[in-house]
Amino acid sequence: MTTVAPETTGSVLVRRPGPRELHPARTHRRRRALELSLAAAVPLLLVLLWQLAAVQGWIDDRVYPAPSTILADGWDRATAGELWPDVWATTQRVLAGYAVGTAAGYLLGLLMGSLSLVRAALEPLLDALYVVPKLALLPVFLNMFGLGEGPQVALVAATVFFFVWISTMSAVMAVPDGHRDAGRVFGASPWQMFRHVLLPASLPAVLVGARIAAGVAVLVIVASEQIAATDGLGHLIFDSRALFQNDVMFVGIVCVAVLGVLFSELVRFVGRLLTPWAPRDRGRGQS
Amino acid sequence: MGEPYPKVTAHDLTRAFGRGTRAVDALGPLDLTVAPGEFVCLVGPSGCGKSTLLRIAAGLLRPSTGTLEIRTLSARPAAMIFQDYGIYDWKTVQANVRFGLDVQRVPRREADARAADWLARTGLADFAHAYPATLSGGMRQRVAIARALAVEPELLLMDEPFAALDAQLRTILQDELLEITQALRTTPLFITHSLEEAIVLGDRVLVMSARPGRIIAEHRPPFPRPRTGDVRAAPEFTALKSELWDLLRKEAVPA
Repeated sequence: MTTVAPETTGSVLVRRPGPRELHPARTHRRRRALELSLAAAVPLLLVLLWQLAAVQGWIDDRVYPAPSTILADGWDRATAGELWPDVWATTQRVLAGYAVGTAAGYLLGLLMGSLSLVRAALEPLLDALYVVPKLALLPVFLNMFGLGEGPQVALVAATVFFFVWISTMSAVMAVPDGHRDAGRVFGASPWQMFRHVLLPASLPAVLVGARIAAGVAVLVIVASEQIAATDGLGHLIFDSRALFQNDVMFVGIVCVAVLGVLFSELVRFVGRLLTPWAPRDRGRGQS
Repeated sequence: MGEPYPKVTAHDLTRAFGRGTRAVDALGPLDLTVAPGEFVCLVGPSGCGKSTLLRIAAGLLRPSTGTLEIRTLSARPAAMIFQDYGIYDWKTVQANVRFGLDVQRVPRREADARAADWLARTGLADFAHAYPATLSGGMRQRVAIARALAVEPELLLMDEPFAALDAQLRTILQDELLEITQALRTTPLFITHSLEEAIVLGDRVLVMSARPGRIIAEHRPPFPRPRTGDVRAAPEFTALKSELWDLLRKEAVPA
């Protein structure tokens, strides 16, 4: 909340309605329109600049193809059905790994947040594993699961696990004592305590971790597909670069970006449904 | 009062929150005139828009309609004391008291001197370099009072400043506030739930209705200035208190 700019007329300071108070509906509508057009205009402007640079020859359009080329190429590949197997392969790996990682991270975070002995036993170990770059684990997973989907899914799961684990554990530990005490006095069983207190109290913070993890999951899968996969968007990007098909490479990059945005928005949407009491995590939509 | 112009004039003031069909009228229409130096206390049921009025006066919120005029030469004539202290845990007591002066770019030496003066007057001198977390609730609220007064505000806005304190401490701080404000040329606007507090402190006690808040009664406690906390024992005090309570009870109980 900003302070209202003072208006001084002579020796009198007047607090009077501003445009927001005089025309609430109109001001809100305009503000909203401005926000939406800014959100669309800024990326559009950058793409136009890129197009201009490519057309004018400021940049080498064999290395950085014009957006129009990328779009046309992407459209062709999509209609010909060449793009979908890769998109689908990546999506499947991300979803499977994300599901496993989230479930494991949530369970362990919950246990470690509520039971200090479990926390004492596992926290140093997990802290140490947390700092290991997950991509460095890919060879280990390749040895464990062989080629195929196993190592890819495991890598995403391992990455997601840590984000969800840390946010769950800290969220459970941050549940105010008063909340627990009220349940304890009524004689709540561990399950009732979880169901009525710990789960809802920790959920908003857990969902923040889950949403960060959604973005990182896409990031990791692309990197791992380039190393050890025969399909998927990561494979497409690096393979086409090796073949000097830079336009295809950019099609892959755009697909990854779209996939990442869709996925993290999906997680956010589900989160809103799950926590109707929590404040929105974006400034929009306030009254 | 001797001065020809009122310090604060509210005219037809209202404030609504939300838009469209979900809009809620919180305040008004309300008309109010406050003379310079006059200690005005506002009492009313919870959610009656008392705080909204204060926030409009402070410039934190604009009115929906109407105006509130403050006769002043300064662009920021007000200081505010909040219920939850609003003092900063990461600043020492002295730095907290100096905060308003630092924001207004008062030279460091002068700011330190003024802060030290207010620390002494509020009995905080020994705690100048302590952090607020180590202080008791009463001490923290003294810091908030000293911080507000250090900028020598023309308008001293207080939003239930003693609500979080225990009853004894409350009485003590009321007496201290009475003494301090009687020695100053400031115009206090004081919000409280406590009728007793309002009668001890106020030159005028305004009773507000349930939402949307309007002023439904006005009383002038018949105790001359300078007064002390001893007025609590006067028979007029009890009489006025029960009179105000009769008014307020009708508003506080939902119909």
